[in-house]
Amino acid sequence: MNTMTYTTQHIWTWWIALYLFFGGLGAATLTITFLTDMYCRPHRKLVLWGALSGVVLLGISSAVLFGHLLHHAAVIYVLNPLVFILKPDSWIAWGTQFILWMMVWGMLYALPYMRETPLFMRIPVVRGILQWPLVNWLSACCMKRRRIVGWLASINGIGTAVYTGLLIQSFPAVALWHNPGVPLLFTVSAFSTAFAYLLLLLNIFITDENDQDIRHRYERMDLILIATELVILFSFFNYTLSGSESGYRSAQLLWGDWGWLIGFIGFGLLVPFMIELKGVTRGWRGRFPTVAAAVLVLMGGYLLRHYFMYAGVYAYPW
Amino acid sequence: MTRYAMVIDLNTCVGCNACMAACAMENQTPVWKGAWRTYVHEKEIGVAEQVRRRFFPRLCNHCDNPPCLTVCPTGATYQRADGIVLIDPDRCMGCRACAMACPYDARYEVTYNDIRVGKEFYGELQRTSPSMDKCSFCAHRVDKGQKPACVETCVGSARQFGDLDNPSDPVAQLVASGVAQPLMPHLGTRPNVYYIDDMKRKG
Repeated sequence: MNTMTYTTQHIWTWWIALYLFFGGLGAATLTITFLTDMYCRPHRKLVLWGALSGVVLLGISSAVLFGHLLHHAAVIYVLNPLVFILKPDSWIAWGTQFILWMMVWGMLYALPYMRETPLFMRIPVVRGILQWPLVNWLSACCMKRRRIVGWLASINGIGTAVYTGLLIQSFPAVALWHNPGVPLLFTVSAFSTAFAYLLLLLNIFITDENDQDIRHRYERMDLILIATELVILFSFFNYTLSGSESGYRSAQLLWGDWGWLIGFIGFGLLVPFMIELKGVTRGWRGRFPTVAAAVLVLMGGYLLRHYFMYAGVYAYPW
Repeated sequence: MTRYAMVIDLNTCVGCNACMAACAMENQTPVWKGAWRTYVHEKEIGVAEQVRRRFFPRLCNHCDNPPCLTVCPTGATYQRADGIVLIDPDRCMGCRACAMACPYDARYEVTYNDIRVGKEFYGELQRTSPSMDKCSFCAHRVDKGQKPACVETCVGSARQFGDLDNPSDPVAQLVASGVAQPLMPHLGTRPNVYYIDDMKRKG
């Protein structure tokens, strides 16, 4: 045993946790709003809030990664769509393209709604752009092929959410990361945080009483996703307890840390689960409990990624 | 075909660190911040009168199935037909995914600041772009028929470099005999650096 060295890493830390969190949250937010608009009922405000904030979240995610690159000019190689031919085996290449095209299709889906919204037509530069003949034509095309654009955006959104897990899974030396549960966990978490974020929007900024059915639906979905996340985390707990020293040490780091146990599992999952369970079964009189639960789910979403990055253990034979 | 490999005999490594110095001078690594292409770990094993010091040289394992190559999004990490894994610094954007994927801790950062300091430290610096860096098996020397700098300088002949596809090469014979073993073969990386275990000082 004493010929081995076990260590955590200090290369991908909080900033990658932010990249994964904002990337998953932004992509899932766009996907949920577009699917709601396509299959639940057309909802201009929700699409505009979801699409624009989703694009901003994806932008923040990309900026965090870009800011930490060693050689910024070389990013051009990964922005090139032909990267799929050159590096089809790299998940960062896929993820960058997913994020890029998610933003493009997301903006195109929201474009017709933007042109219908007086606020955008009152902003001088934006109004000018929205009145360009090319933008007019694009808007008409997107209106005509709404579902195709919506599905292209959604596929890229789902791809981005899954990618955040696949990226971490591609590091073979760390048992906590290199297993099929990670993409599943990160995808479920991305959609759970997105539902929480949209519940925040629907309780603070889009306070239309007619949206009560959407709020209930989102709350139910979030409840199911939190329950799924708890099951996946329990299986992670079991998986890391035996099988490899790397995994066992990760288990000791995670399950012996109050931030993970109380902060993430407790306040990030269990407390919002209880609040949302009461909301779904009996309902709340005010909006505060739902808003509080949503904030806690969002906090938990970041904590999951933060602790995951810090708890990965490498086993070196020296 | 040629397939380069290195065998390191832990019984004869005396921990003089000459390999580290030779490599640093040959490849202009940012030693001022403790970053080396090859590094000799020291560890005390055992207790009381039984305590022994073990030296463990490590470097890029030039894997046949390198995870650092798979995760590289720009194609900056590539593999030659002879198995040597190299980096194109101009193409590397420095996302560090390769460092995360490497089970042998072989990668380190070269920043803009390192290039500035390197120019003062080494006088003239070959590198112009920041990137993730690692051992290249001294490919520039190997191409000229020379051995890697660390092998050339090793006083105890602990490091041997050769061609696995040449049955008469001593390195190929050591590997074929099973005396020399790769590190962590269960990870599926198929490494091309092999170690002869330290029998006396083994923990």
